[in-house]
Amino acid sequence: MLVFDQVDYYYRSRNPVLRQLSFEIRQGEFLSIIGGNGSGKSTLAKLMNGLLQPREGQVMLDHLNTRTPDDLGKIREQAGLVFQNPDNQFITTSVLDEVIFGLENLRVPRADMAGRANMALQAVHMEDYAEAMPHQLSGGQKQRVAVAAVVAMEPSIIIFDEATSMLDPQGRRDILELMNSLHRQGKTIIQITHHMDEILSSDRVLLLSRGEIAFDGSPSALFSSVSITEHQLSPPFAVRLHQALGLKAPLRADWKETVSALWATS
Amino acid sequence: MGYELNDVSVKLNGVEILQSVSCTLQEGKWISVIGHTGAGKSTFAKVMKGLVPFYRGEYTHDRQPLPRDSKGNMKAVPQIGYVFQYPEQQLFATTVYRELAFALTVKGESPGKVEAAVKTVMEQLGLPADLLQEKPFQLSGGLKRLVAVASVLITEPELLILDEPTAGLDSVHRTALLKQLQVWQREKNRTVLLISHQLEEVADYSDEVMVFQKGHLLAHLEANELFLKCADLLEQAGLPLPEPVQLLRLIEGISGRTLTPASCREEDIMQLVRNVWQSRGLHHEG
Ligand SMILES: Nc1ncnc2c1ncn2[C@@H]1O[C@H](COP(=O)(O)OP(=O)(O)OP(=O)(O)O)[C@@H](O)[C@H]1O
Ligand SMILES: [Mg+2]
Repeated sequence: MLVFDQVDYYYRSRNPVLRQLSFEIRQGEFLSIIGGNGSGKSTLAKLMNGLLQPREGQVMLDHLNTRTPDDLGKIREQAGLVFQNPDNQFITTSVLDEVIFGLENLRVPRADMAGRANMALQAVHMEDYAEAMPHQLSGGQKQRVAVAAVVAMEPSIIIFDEATSMLDPQGRRDILELMNSLHRQGKTIIQITHHMDEILSSDRVLLLSRGEIAFDGSPSALFSSVSITEHQLSPPFAVRLHQALGLKAPLRADWKETVSALWATS
Repeated sequence: MGYELNDVSVKLNGVEILQSVSCTLQEGKWISVIGHTGAGKSTFAKVMKGLVPFYRGEYTHDRQPLPRDSKGNMKAVPQIGYVFQYPEQQLFATTVYRELAFALTVKGESPGKVEAAVKTVMEQLGLPADLLQEKPFQLSGGLKRLVAVASVLITEPELLILDEPTAGLDSVHRTALLKQLQVWQREKNRTVLLISHQLEEVADYSDEVMVFQKGHLLAHLEANELFLKCADLLEQAGLPLPEPVQLLRLIEGISGRTLTPASCREEDIMQLVRNVWQSRGLHHEG
């Protein structure tokens, strides 16, 4: 369980970014975090794996505390973070080395490293690029490598900070499917996204606004209860369609089935 | 007329990245570039800006070859603005104000004029004035991107190339950016070349669309033509139809009627689907 207990964060004291944040994420949850640009989502992600420490309050992962220096190694092993922008996190000269690099810090036996790295590259469909130079990849390919590097470390919690933003529609589906399959394996998945259609399949949504949690609940409750446009978000296509046609049926990610079924019953 | 490529091919490390691309970017048009990851979209955009050498073909502007340096290499074309895929490749100044003021100051504009231009572009993109004193590198991902766009838009280029400018923007900023670009582009008769994976925004804003696949220019069509009549081309390029068009096809399928919306924009499609839905007695208010 990941616990935020009255967490305050600011980069400069006159500009608070997160205020008195308290919530818990259970093992195995699929959580989406949404909110406008600059609302503090990436900051929250970095607090989760100890890259940042709270100014006030605690962030606990089971019995580990991100404020305890001795716990940090274990926390980062268990909570992997895929950064928003992969361009400035590559350090090695081949895609395979890039994925292996993360494993070296984890005391993974040498003999297992290449195998694990290759499996992770397969999971994101980048196995053909193992020998390529990270800097020569397209934006979407870089993003996949960044995902593979974290997946290879086999953390129990994976935080994806806008991991699909540079991907083509197929690539987005691939990463979403990967998230779903990791979730089925029992991992905790936390995704930060601006694509409202991507949150429909998660268990729970946290909406950040002005440093506070403006909503915490299921995706369908979000679109029916909160005026999300107030928080710089707009509803996904399925919701726009429901509104335009005045549909009464429950909201589902697959709007096609809903429309066909309603048509057939009339 | 406009910026024109004729049979241009690009090789990087022995691999052909663009093959025999010919196109005209006509003045005053919003042209979007789509294609799967690695199809050559960014390389194409960099060729247009004069950043990537090509080993075959020619590049002209209003039928005139573009200037080259003393060694015969292409030079970056100053009248073309380029917003990179990653803002980090572009931002360098110590404050947002300096970042935005840079290009105009170098051009020798008066401080008063520069200040006014900075104010205008901040308002256009819906950015709060207190951002001006911040360090660009310390902004959130989305705000960095908006600052990168603003720093190019402020120069009012003839042709503005944007490589996935809406990635990472929340919907308010995304819509503000696209709408403002459209207003600017139409008022001043400028050309926009937008690379995007968001087919819905491409269908909503483009006059024309270029589809790339594995280094080839597979098609260059009017947006309406492509999205409403050439679904097979999108399929060939490995791209789905925009969601509103998928809805249109679904309703056609279940109603057995052929539907012809005013355009491929979501607003027009929704309007038509709503009418069909209502005529079937399926509409409930509320
Ligand atoms: N290193 C830093 N130094 C100072 N301020 C920062 C730093 N990183 C972020 N900020 C500021 O903190 C606030 C929250 O930023 P954060 O990156 O967490 O937002 P976000 O919700 O991830 O936004 P986006 O959707 O644009 O990625 C913003 O006002 C941002 O400018
Ligand atoms: Mg962020």
